[in-house]
Amino acid sequence: MENVKKILLVDDDIDLLEQNKTLLESKGFEIITAESAEVGFKVFEKEKPDAAIIDLIMEQMDSGFILCYKIKKTEHGKKIPVFMLTSATYETGFKFGASSKEEKEWIKCDGILNKPVVVEELISKLENFNYH
Amino acid sequence: MNPQKGNILIVDDEKGLRLGTQRLLEEEGYVVSAAENGTEGLRYGTQNEYDVAVIDLKMPDIDGLDVLKEIKRVHPNTVCFIATAFASYDTAVQSTRLGAFGYIQKPFSTEEFIYQIEQGIKQRNLILAAERLAIEREQNLLELASEKSRLNAIIKSISEGVLVININGEVGYYNYAALKLLNITNINIGENILGNLPSQIVELVEKIYSSDKILLKSFTTEFVSNKGDELYIEAACTPIPQPDGSLAGVVIILSNITEYRRIEIIKNQFVSMVAHELKTPLAAVQGSLNIILDKSITLTEEKEEDYIKRSTYRLKSLTDLVNDLLDISRMELKTKQREIVNVHIENVIASTLQMLELEISKKHLTINKKIQKDLPVIKADINEITRIVTNLLSNAIKYNREKGEIIIEVTCTSNFLSLKIQDTGVGMKPDEKVKLFTEFYRAKNEKTRGINGTGLGLSIVKRIVDSYYGRIDVESEFGVGSTFLINLPINHN
Repeated sequence: MENVKKILLVDDDIDLLEQNKTLLESKGFEIITAESAEVGFKVFEKEKPDAAIIDLIMEQMDSGFILCYKIKKTEHGKKIPVFMLTSATYETGFKFGASSKEEKEWIKCDGILNKPVVVEELISKLENFNYH
Repeated sequence: MNPQKGNILIVDDEKGLRLGTQRLLEEEGYVVSAAENGTEGLRYGTQNEYDVAVIDLKMPDIDGLDVLKEIKRVHPNTVCFIATAFASYDTAVQSTRLGAFGYIQKPFSTEEFIYQIEQGIKQRNLILAAERLAIEREQNLLELASEKSRLNAIIKSISEGVLVININGEVGYYNYAALKLLNITNINIGENILGNLPSQIVELVEKIYSSDKILLKSFTTEFVSNKGDELYIEAACTPIPQPDGSLAGVVIILSNITEYRRIEIIKNQFVSMVAHELKTPLAAVQGSLNIILDKSITLTEEKEEDYIKRSTYRLKSLTDLVNDLLDISRMELKTKQREIVNVHIENVIASTLQMLELEISKKHLTINKKIQKDLPVIKADINEITRIVTNLLSNAIKYNREKGEIIIEVTCTSNFLSLKIQDTGVGMKPDEKVKLFTEFYRAKNEKTRGINGTGLGLSIVKRIVDSYYGRIDVESEFGVGSTFLINLPINHN
């Protein structure tokens, strides 16, 4: 948790991006943002954040997946927690999670966060992240 | 004379006896024909069907047995007696063999003769009744056979699979649809089939067989048959009781429910999409409110107002979404009561432009109207036509560039009214164009960021156009603009 100062937020919903920025800044994090997967990856490479929170459905249904995958393939990405943010939960029929090892392998992210972001939940996930 | 009592033929060359018996029988109420020799007797007996014939054995022209033979050949149901004074065992046997019912020995008493005739009439009635029964029975059998083959033809030709098995699991009946749905090439009647059935069906059958009392209800299950395409099949197993109440077997009805499954998947996907589209603005509003209420976050007054404004805006778009969804649901259910009136499309365009005036002036757009003179009216629901024009025009505004142009062109041919709306906006990439009319699809790229919409507008337009048997086409070039062309049939009456 002490390792995490700078968080990258990627979301195409400007409102949610803005809110999460305000929310996390109030908790002392430094927040950098991007409004698309493409820009998100550029910002990630340039800023080397300590964590990333990525919206699942952006330009395409799978934009968030692909960005996660790309980030996790980089040297820096392997070292930091990357979370996927979604309003699609089990109730809405999108069945996925990142509870099992296989799912984590496949999804290439370290956890799923529901909208709206609950700071306590995020912090607990950051604390539980297993740094290698 | 009573014809009901019987028609009798007397064949005898002995005049006294002939006339005597004739008078006697007529007095008893019979109708009597008398032939004076074999030739005459043969003619009478073959031309008419008598109930009873009494034939003298010895006649000068033709032998009585020959007369008997011929009469029995033509009318086998005529009861014949042979009458003779020269009775012998041989002639008796011979005449019986030729079909004679009895033998009257001459001379005979009147009582004896009458008694024989009465016996003959009884025999005749028995023969006729037996024949009637035989005919009836044959007819019944024919009906039964055709009823059976009709049922068989019906069951063979239905698309549901029918399979009947007994308590040993042996096949008692099946139709071709069952073979197809079970993906089995051949079944033999009497063959044990449990090993070839999907485990889901076997489970149900065993459940029915093992239960203590016969439950007169169906048990259904589902399985997937892999024969080329994946088929979803529903199997309903119903116990068949014997007349004594014990279990005879099970009838299994198989139905292909693949299409229902497919529709169900589409429905679930739609519900998922709707849920997602509803939840996103709600999450945005909730997030804004949380921040305003969070005592630990200090917001400037300006920032707070911004959050409230954004929330209001998101709530408005949520309302739009719900309205669009309701429209789609009404269209789907066809409960939307259409009010067909004469619609002047030029008026609809004018009023829509007026309604969108603010948005047009905000973006400094130029509107260029090319509307043909003397357009025919179309018979339609004015709300639906307004909806088409509004959705297309508001897209042309939203996706247009600053200081762009919108060209509205209306022309008509003898059968169609054409509405063309062209913008100078962001345009579409080819892959975006394909998905354009799909619910919730919104072209998302670097140029469309910040443009709001429900993703249902064009889907609604297409539904309305389709419902009027019209056609919608789109031409677009990314970065240059899009043109929507709608053709609506003109109702001539």
